[in-house]
Amino acid sequence: MGRLRRSRAHHARRDVHRASRTRARVKDLDQIQLIDLDPKNRAALEAQPLDYEKPGLAQHYCVECAKYYETDHALNSHWRSKVHKRRLKDLKQPAYTIEEAERAAGLGREGKRPTTTTVVAAAVSEMEVIADT
Amino acid sequence: MRVEKCYFCSTNVYPGHGSAFVRNDAKVFRFCTSKCHKNFKMKRNPRKVRWTKAFRKAAGKEMTIDSTIDFEKRRNVPVRYDRELVQTTIKAMKRIAEIKAKREKAFFRNRMASSRAKQIAHRKKRLEAAKGSFKLREPVTKTAAAPEKIKVSVKSSKSALIPGEGRSMGMDID
Repeated sequence: MGRLRRSRAHHARRDVHRASRTRARVKDLDQIQLIDLDPKNRAALEAQPLDYEKPGLAQHYCVECAKYYETDHALNSHWRSKVHKRRLKDLKQPAYTIEEAERAAGLGREGKRPTTTTVVAAAVSEMEVIADT
Repeated sequence: MRVEKCYFCSTNVYPGHGSAFVRNDAKVFRFCTSKCHKNFKMKRNPRKVRWTKAFRKAAGKEMTIDSTIDFEKRRNVPVRYDRELVQTTIKAMKRIAEIKAKREKAFFRNRMASSRAKQIAHRKKRLEAAKGSFKLREPVTKTAAAPEKIKVSVKSSKSALIPGEGRSMGMDID
């Protein structure tokens, strides 16, 4: 008789190493907040042309979570889910950027410009209202 | 030569040290150690991880608004070498570091002064809470005498085992 399995015996298993491979990389929060949530980009992402490589032919896309869904029903139930709401909450705060890391180290930039936009936070809160209804 | 800052913990990254990750939008993320790199891969927010500079700054544990901090800047315009300028800059750097250390010390003392009062109040509150949770009782006195000792003779029991007749059950071979 061999050794009985002791690891991976539970449901909430996740392979952190596989998920963190570069090829399995997903969009970062700052990319979503500063680029994707911009109304112009958002419209383009929500109305993507048919793509046979993407799940659901890229017709059901959640911009905040950067994720494709198979059906409209799946996307709608995702919007009501905890994962999505948590993501909205994360997106409300200004995203952490390289500039902020440097500022924390005491390294400034010449010719200061705003790194994070407050407009984005307003757009997120607007989306939240839509998600709630 | 340029001393970079770590994306995660904001420490210095000297040339030849640490690692870098270039995202597909050409942003370069530098890391001082594998620890910081791993934390980045886990998509943790440095503002919420307590050991990073970003956390300490965001939580008000370090000086953020000060004129001594504004000197260090990423300047992308090269300056022609000038002996006089270098000398005065080095002199200024030393003086600024002195002033900064002094101000940081004052900031720390100020921060600790307020936190000390808070800690004392917290301890007092906990002590009050602990007082209500248990009752003090009178110690119970022992009145009963010690039990008497009775002597019982030990009978020699016969062993059922047959003693070895000069031979032992040893390991030695004849």
